Amino acid sequence: MNITLANIMPTPLASINHGADSIWGSQIELEHGKRIMLNASSGKGKSTFTTTVFGLRRDYTGTLLYDGRDIRELTPSDWTEVRKTKISVVFQDLQLFPKLSVRENLLLKNELTDTYTESELKKLLEKLEIDNKWEQQCGLLSMGQQQRVAIVRAMAQPFSWLIMDEPFSHLDVDNANKCLEIIHDRTMEQGAGFVLTSLGNNHGYTFDQELKL
Amino acid sequence: MGITFLITSIHYLIRVNEFGEGEEILGPNTIIVQKQVSNSSVLNITRTDFSKSEIEKIKSESFILDVKPVVANNFSVSFQTDDALVPYFRSDVFIQTVDQDFLDIKTDNWNWKEGDTLVPIIMPRDFLVMLNTFMSAKGIPQISDDLAMGINFKFTLESKDKEKKEWIDAKIVGFTNEVAAILVPENFMTYGNNKFSDGSDQKVTQIMISGKESEFGLVEELLEKRGLESKNSQMVIGRLKSMIGTLFLVVLGISVIAVFMSGLVLIQYLQLLMSKNAYEVRTLLRIGYHPDEIIRKFFVYFIRIFGIVAGLGLTMFFIFKYFLDSMFESGGLYIDTGITLGSIGALLIAYLLFTAASYFTAKKGIFKEY
Repeated sequence: MNITLANIMPTPLASINHGADSIWGSQIELEHGKRIMLNASSGKGKSTFTTTVFGLRRDYTGTLLYDGRDIRELTPSDWTEVRKTKISVVFQDLQLFPKLSVRENLLLKNELTDTYTESELKKLLEKLEIDNKWEQQCGLLSMGQQQRVAIVRAMAQPFSWLIMDEPFSHLDVDNANKCLEIIHDRTMEQGAGFVLTSLGNNHGYTFDQELKL
Repeated sequence: MGITFLITSIHYLIRVNEFGEGEEILGPNTIIVQKQVSNSSVLNITRTDFSKSEIEKIKSESFILDVKPVVANNFSVSFQTDDALVPYFRSDVFIQTVDQDFLDIKTDNWNWKEGDTLVPIIMPRDFLVMLNTFMSAKGIPQISDDLAMGINFKFTLESKDKEKKEWIDAKIVGFTNEVAAILVPENFMTYGNNKFSDGSDQKVTQIMISGKESEFGLVEELLEKRGLESKNSQMVIGRLKSMIGTLFLVVLGISVIAVFMSGLVLIQYLQLLMSKNAYEVRTLLRIGYHPDEIIRKFFVYFIRIFGIVAGLGLTMFFIFKYFLDSMFESGGLYIDTGITLGSIGALLIAYLLFTAASYFTAKKGIFKEY
């Protein structure tokens, strides 16, 4: 699925001066299968990009298209389908259920898509060294641990695009690399692309494209 | 408690309204009235019959549903037994007919047309008492209502100048405490009056009044104001039903307010619950749950809560009913103790209204987070 940003300008960012290479107000094509890094300093709209592309914000001018279709035309059922099978997201604030255990958080998503078995989910957690937190309440985990749970949850669905909003901000280099490895494998497996927003750190990964805000 | 009182008040409103029905042939809230006979009416100074304008005036009162004259025979009628099992008995009688709309009797048993050889009649219960006294005096066993309905009787219709005479068989189809004359179908009375009457004007000395439920006091006031009277038993039952009916109407009014207020509180609780779970709802939508699926989850939860409330209300109603039925029975009010469809219907309506309100609350709450 290609995502087109045709002169998108979020209303809250309209008063800010954006550089000539900024995606805001430009015609940008996120081509299917590409691994993209979105680089920007704080306050330039990384989270706004994530939420706008994911259809959570509508306060923008311009047109946003999924495979040529204006996302403003999508119905609630279309959005459910997009969020279940086309675009997966790791939000900056993670959007986990703090009162539920790691297991419950993951199963809540996985039961919807039937992507992994419980043992496969546990293996992913094991790779990220948090398999011992399986029954622990998410709200009691450290931010780094919660980020890893959110990343595993994002893997638990089929997708064409994975959009991640500063997903490694609380992770050390080693853990960030492990996460990137899992993300790489999963996207390759599906022929999917991903967008990783970052403050400038490429985490040692070779991206196909780099965008700026 | 609101639900309990709602079901209870509707149940007893229906039961009190039914009280006395079926035992009598006149419909509910219906009485037969005549003018009080005074010294002046004996001296023909005042009239004891009703003019058309008097009937229309009574009919125009807001609490009166209908008024119709009671038509009597304007020819000679005698009534006799015509059965080998019963001794011969003959008497001149007075027959009347009342409008079909006022009668609480199946029409299949209550019709007659010219050429029919058998007239269905409704007999004053006092007549059966008199017949039994007569049977007893003759040393014959007394008869029950059912047996009396199997006896063959005969009417003799005769013009006042005795030139025309006709016999016709009659059969009892019911008894009444409310009317003093033998009741015959309207067609039979019309036939008799057309064929045997001497052509003189027939005076209407009795009328039937059908009053609105719970406004019997106003009917009584009207009777007093116009110098009319009715059988005391009819008045007592009417007054009793009106009084108890009014009491239950007040309880019903309070119950409706209580149910409405409780409903509002419950809806507010639902809104609070939804706003408390706004983050969870938002997150579920973001990870791919369909809004309708989340609406369904909340909706099922809401209707379960009200199901428990309705169940408790119904249980309380049965407990109340047990005590109230015993109290009514001790007080001599033998009302039907079965469950009324109306009370269950009211519960279902309240449940459906709440179900609809919860669905829209859930839908509004979910789409607010969409």
